[in-house]
Amino acid sequence: MSNTPPAPAPVASEHIELKARNVSFGWEDTPLHWLPGDPFATHTINVLHLLLPAGERWFVHVYKQVLPYIKDERLRADVVGFIGQEAMHAAAHDDVLPHLKRLGLDPTPYTAQVDWLFEKLLGDRTLPPGKARHWWLMERVALIAAIEHYTAFLGDWVLNADELDRRGADPVMLDLLRWHGAEEVEHRSVAFDLFMHVDGGYHRRARTWATAFTALVFLWQRGTRFFMENDPELPAAKASLGQFFRAGRQGTLPSAGAMLKSIPTYLSRTYHPSQEGSTAQAVAYLASSPGANGGAAA
Amino acid sequence: MSRALKLAAVAGVALLTRRALKGRIARSPLWPLPALETPVSGHSPRRWLPALIVSRAEPAQGVLLLTLASPELPPWTPGAHVDVQLPSGLIRQYSLCGDPADAGRYTIAIRLVEDGRGGSREAHAQLVEGAELPVRPPRNRFPLVPSPSYAFVAGGIGITPVLPMLRAAEAAGAEWTLLYGGRSRSSMPFLAELEAYGPRVTVTAQDEAGLPDLTPLTGAAPGTLVYCCGPEPLMEAVEAAAAPHAPVHLERFTATAPTTGASHPFTVELHRSGRTIEVGRDESTLTAVRRELPDTPYSCAQGFCGTCQHRVLAGEVDHRDTLLTDQEREDSMLLCVSRARTDHLVLDL
Repeated sequence: MSNTPPAPAPVASEHIELKARNVSFGWEDTPLHWLPGDPFATHTINVLHLLLPAGERWFVHVYKQVLPYIKDERLRADVVGFIGQEAMHAAAHDDVLPHLKRLGLDPTPYTAQVDWLFEKLLGDRTLPPGKARHWWLMERVALIAAIEHYTAFLGDWVLNADELDRRGADPVMLDLLRWHGAEEVEHRSVAFDLFMHVDGGYHRRARTWATAFTALVFLWQRGTRFFMENDPELPAAKASLGQFFRAGRQGTLPSAGAMLKSIPTYLSRTYHPSQEGSTAQAVAYLASSPGANGGAAA
Repeated sequence: MSRALKLAAVAGVALLTRRALKGRIARSPLWPLPALETPVSGHSPRRWLPALIVSRAEPAQGVLLLTLASPELPPWTPGAHVDVQLPSGLIRQYSLCGDPADAGRYTIAIRLVEDGRGGSREAHAQLVEGAELPVRPPRNRFPLVPSPSYAFVAGGIGITPVLPMLRAAEAAGAEWTLLYGGRSRSSMPFLAELEAYGPRVTVTAQDEAGLPDLTPLTGAAPGTLVYCCGPEPLMEAVEAAAAPHAPVHLERFTATAPTTGASHPFTVELHRSGRTIEVGRDESTLTAVRRELPDTPYSCAQGFCGTCQHRVLAGEVDHRDTLLTDQEREDSMLLCVSRARTDHLVLDL
């Protein structure tokens, strides 16, 4: 037994400079069921478009407030790059929403409630300057670190989800998901490093993980249900847990097992995001992504 | 009560609760969360809406009248204008001059300015029927306030926001008059439609009768609202002529000074930190600001991500991005690409 407490151990070689990439996606040819014959997996993944525009705008909003607390030059540069990337993600997913509406599936009833969640419930609130305001800022920074654990998990999954290619998924949608996923993998350590730098308390990390996880499960199951029940091409469709497990086994969604395994990973005292995922794979995808290279897909 | 009865009661309550919950969630997908009143996601004012030019006409010399159509065009009110993206990427603002009840259609009129910044020349040369013309959701900073009486004054192409206003005033049964001035009758659009209103409309062509006579404004009845859109000298004259009890609403053409394209040095005052910095000819505003305030966030440095958007407290900005909306441009700028039009800017930094 060592006397020093276990601490997060980053994998040193993984650091690269982060920069927002200009992207362009043309949605004209993307069908409603962009994963042919699998509306359940399509809509489960589509929930991303409901959550990310509001959620990532909120990340940017919170991180702009935390910049003055950063005392490390390299971390500040990372956070600034992160902010730019997240702003682009929010805008790119936001563009899918009017396309869904054009296809007869208006997402506004759901997104207006997500907007309330991020703008009001998780917004700045009217707190007095000082302790309360600082506490709430740190709480949100920790929440973002926990959420980013899952975005990195999903990013890594989608980069390796060959089953989506085999089933003929729409190339533009796949490119959006993989561009976003790759940038999530690329910047997967930033939110965690920032949290460790400005606070780092284990209790806060565990507590906010529980909140984030519960919220994600709630938002995701309601989102999939919303899409399935309002799909104009499937009047009698319903979402069920059985479909979720089946898609996980087939490889069109992350498996339940892999998701369960990611829980103790984040709660481990020696966890660091650089221990998982591959920056090399992410950067290789970004170099070849049509959307991130001048929008050849448009 | 027997056990079976208790069980049946519990099962019944559970079933009813489930049904009630299902109904709630069907109506409100994230129940019990409320919805944000003005939804943000999917409704970005920055999004370009693809619209098609369905008709092109020249209702007067040097005036191009375009009708755009798309089922996605949001509703608007008289006085509204839109950002339009020309094929070269230039962004220009034009007032909507059609009928707000005509859903899915916008009408704009563009005056050719030979010595202007190039937007109108490009529009006249390249915007043909059948072409696509992206527009942003409309915005109104010249709204028509309900009133029993209006005095409208329009100079030249400034007639465009006024046209839907007087139709609305007429429909509401309000008293109204229009003074409409222009260089010559052949260059003034919509004369035929306006003359149908009879004596309410006074048309003054400069080559026949000089500048419009503004004395009727001095004698306007109390409670009359004055609306004016036109060249700067006309608006100044209207402000001077209007009776003190007649509030004046003005619509300025957005660009008041031409962009030269070249970069000149200027100074930036950082209001909150109380420092003043020099921005050289060859460096961006962002580079100069970051010399003093290295924490200033930025990312792409090319004007597309919006990370370096900052509030401008004073000074005129030479906006060189394609991201910000007209509304955002009124009080903010992207430090990475935009510069000062004048010699001095004051930023809230």
